Amino acid sequence: MPAGWLHNLRLRIKALGKRRQLDRDLDDEVAFHLAMRAEKNRAGGVEGAEAGYAAQRQFGNTTSMKERSREMWTFVSLESLWQDVRYGARLLAKNPGFTVIAILTLALGIGASTAIFSVVNSVLLRPLPFPEPDQLVRVWEANPKRGYVRNVVNPLNFLDWHEQNRSFGPMAAVAGGSANFNHGKAPITVPALAVTPEFFSVLGVAPLLGRTFTDDDGIPGHDERVILTYEFWQEQFGSDPAIVNRPIQVNDAPKLVVGVLPKGFAVPNMKASLWLPFAYTRDSDFAKSGRYLRVVARLKSGVTMTQAQQDMERVAAYTAQVRPDYNSGWGAIVNPMLKDVTSDVRRPLFVLFSAVGFVLLIACANVANLMLMRGVRRSREIAVRTALGAARARVVRQLFVESLMLASAGTIGGIAIANWGLRALLALIPEASHLPRMESIRVDSAVFLFALALAFCTTVLFGLLPALRLSRVNLHDTLKQATTRGGLGGNRTLRQSLVVAEIALALLLSVGAGLLLRSFQRLTAVDLGFHSDHLVSMGVSISRVKYNDPPKQARYLERLLDEIRQTPGVRRASTTDYLPLASELISGSCFAFGTAEPVNSATAPGSQFLIISPGYFDTMGTPLLSGRDFNERDTLKSPSAAIVNQAFVSKYFPNGDALGKQLGVCWSVQNPVQIVGVVADSRQTKLKDAPAPAIYLANTQAPLAGATFVARAAGDPQQVLRSIEIAIHRVDPDQPITEVRTMDSVFSDSASDARFQVVLLVIFAGLAVALAMIGVYGVVSYSVGQRTQEIGVRMAMGAAATSIARMVLREALLLAVLAVVIGLAGAFALTRLMEALLYETTPTDPITLTAAAVAVLLVATLAALIPARRAMQVDPMVALRYE
Amino acid sequence: MPNKKEPGDLLQGTLDLLILKSLARGPMHGYSVAEWIHESSQDVLRVEEGALYPALHRLELRGLLSAEWGTSENNRRAKYYALTAAGKKQLAEETEYWRRMSGAVARVLQTA
Repeated sequence: MPAGWLHNLRLRIKALGKRRQLDRDLDDEVAFHLAMRAEKNRAGGVEGAEAGYAAQRQFGNTTSMKERSREMWTFVSLESLWQDVRYGARLLAKNPGFTVIAILTLALGIGASTAIFSVVNSVLLRPLPFPEPDQLVRVWEANPKRGYVRNVVNPLNFLDWHEQNRSFGPMAAVAGGSANFNHGKAPITVPALAVTPEFFSVLGVAPLLGRTFTDDDGIPGHDERVILTYEFWQEQFGSDPAIVNRPIQVNDAPKLVVGVLPKGFAVPNMKASLWLPFAYTRDSDFAKSGRYLRVVARLKSGVTMTQAQQDMERVAAYTAQVRPDYNSGWGAIVNPMLKDVTSDVRRPLFVLFSAVGFVLLIACANVANLMLMRGVRRSREIAVRTALGAARARVVRQLFVESLMLASAGTIGGIAIANWGLRALLALIPEASHLPRMESIRVDSAVFLFALALAFCTTVLFGLLPALRLSRVNLHDTLKQATTRGGLGGNRTLRQSLVVAEIALALLLSVGAGLLLRSFQRLTAVDLGFHSDHLVSMGVSISRVKYNDPPKQARYLERLLDEIRQTPGVRRASTTDYLPLASELISGSCFAFGTAEPVNSATAPGSQFLIISPGYFDTMGTPLLSGRDFNERDTLKSPSAAIVNQAFVSKYFPNGDALGKQLGVCWSVQNPVQIVGVVADSRQTKLKDAPAPAIYLANTQAPLAGATFVARAAGDPQQVLRSIEIAIHRVDPDQPITEVRTMDSVFSDSASDARFQVVLLVIFAGLAVALAMIGVYGVVSYSVGQRTQEIGVRMAMGAAATSIARMVLREALLLAVLAVVIGLAGAFALTRLMEALLYETTPTDPITLTAAAVAVLLVATLAALIPARRAMQVDPMVALRYE
Repeated sequence: MPNKKEPGDLLQGTLDLLILKSLARGPMHGYSVAEWIHESSQDVLRVEEGALYPALHRLELRGLLSAEWGTSENNRRAKYYALTAAGKKQLAEETEYWRRMSGAVARVLQTA
């Protein structure tokens, strides 16, 4: 026999195109049988019509028989699913208001979640774009007692680490930040990093052209070489394949291009267009003191993080033993690279992701409520279908299919919103953001899978519950009711619980947004210690070839400053080596009270060190509290002067007698230095960090590494910035100028991450409140609709319209108050997680909690007002005739 | 496939066997099959006549029967069923099975 199922399938498929024919055949066959039977009955003596009835009785239920045969001939389960889909689509199309609101709500929830997820995925979850990314680590020095958890590394210590560790394959150190590049036109300053030879082996990156660095490039004198990124090569050299082995001018010296990196090469938190060798030995002057290297390494296969950590502790103990004056108290810490580079953004992203998850939950609750309310209107339909023999599973499936259709439409809309939202989000993330791996943020397959998973979960959340509930109708009661206003008392509690949950979640989000808002307000109102308005700044990086010794550099800077001071629109100008709020890397070093013995850097107290020109405080608008500013009498020949800030005085001279004291400092100036002045505190690295003790030295006495000019403008700052650029180029047309900006924008950038978080959370909270408002409105207006008759009776009995409104509002308020209590409890439990994001704001800030609670109550009342008004306008006559 | 026996399939199996047996005499339409079953089983097997048709269709789908439309003795359009080769084989197997089965049951009842 032919394989049975194949034969079966062939017949079925043949039947598929001939549904009508099949039905007619079935009818004919039954009719023939009945006719024959009736004939026989008549022959047997049964009279007239009775013969036909008897035949029918003997045959049994013709419909059921046909149904069974038809099922056999067709793909019935698939077809009935298709039926459900078509039926669902018809219903949804017939009720466009409901459909649009449901889809829009879901699309917003899914879209926002997906957009945030694509950021979370790209930044936190997706592995680093290097081979075996789990083996990549960052290694830091650490001095927990002094509060340095992830500290940059001393070059000598790095050499010891490199030689003595047993856990890592390649290990490399990274230094520097920028370089001047000269390509025939005016020189420009470009991001550049200097790396020890194994850097690219650590990452496992092969060059596109040429080679990466070898050990030879790490030998001083052999290091006049450079590697270009693909993008820089394309932009500056038109992707010239002959670039390898040609010299280019970097920092006014020819450097041989040894290689070009592959397209898209990017190391998180290490931005560079040029990669230079960092060549040094134990004898190099700059290697002996200072901690400034960032270290990357690759674990040997089979070595765990714990083993590597223990190994590095052993090596650090060794460095502390051989150079105790520099290293005692210092250990080492090993972090997985991905975790390390994202450590600052983990918490904020987590908070945002949770927030958007709450929005999605609210959206689901809302749609579930809509489904329930609509379902009540359909309870008769469902009851009739059940009475006619529809299985409960079939009814549930029908409802579930509808939910699935809504969710699918919502997901498609959601993905569109996510795409658009992500673009808006990326535009919102400022250049100055500390978000690592931003370049990799995109919608990828993981994001699509996430959206699909969301679609499915939301369907279960908002679809299954109502479907199960609605399919359990009480046939008798439902069918008995004359109107379509169904009983289903249990649904009321369910609907109200959903609304309570919505309001509670919305309150939670509002509290979160409120806390961030308040924190942001305090952060941006912080006393900077200087006046940022009309303050402008720009950086110059001085050519070490043209100005090859410190006195020449100092004279050059002095000439530039003179030229700037004479520029129209400039009221004051000075230089500093560190622009407040512009960078998180600030020089720190040690000092000693008194001058008797050399400073032991391992045990001596620490302070920030800043090198400024006379008049700096005047330019910045930082008040001098006592003593004097630097002046032209502070020269290399005179004793070194120092100015300290108030934080320094409070910490080290609590009696306020700092002025005139002598300090030994670990800095290349003539020791000792004498404190000649005290200034007010300024914010330095981060807006939210309280000012730390700082020692200012005069650039006339301490050599300046790089220089940033600050100037106070009389007129339009942008205009003044242009004038200053022209002035600088009058002195040296080849001088590259970087970081041209107003201090207001520096200030604004320093608050950008906080602003970004606030904006997003406020948007999410707004969405949440709006959705909850729709939820309240829906439930109250539905309940008013249900009670029209009751309201009519009350009014007919003489109840005042206002008391009716009060009744309606009371219901809404009761729900809202319950929700607020739950929401506040949730806030107490959850806002702790936001603590790291808050500035001088406690997670349970009573004002924020109160304000959010009041706002949510108000909004809930507002949402109930419209149905309450409708209740007041009920015409008793109409309402009573309604039945 | 033909010998797939599941518990609870007994009645359906019996009906199938009766249909196959009736058609062993030649092609006939559903009504005749019903009549033949009534007569030959002396009305012992009372089948609701409607149940016959799903069974016929199932056997057709399984390839044990072939069917074609023809004209009946009283000039009506009727569907005639006939055994296929597979159907004949199936009938032989089923008959053999029943023979052994009823023999075994009879022996068990005698020894009791």
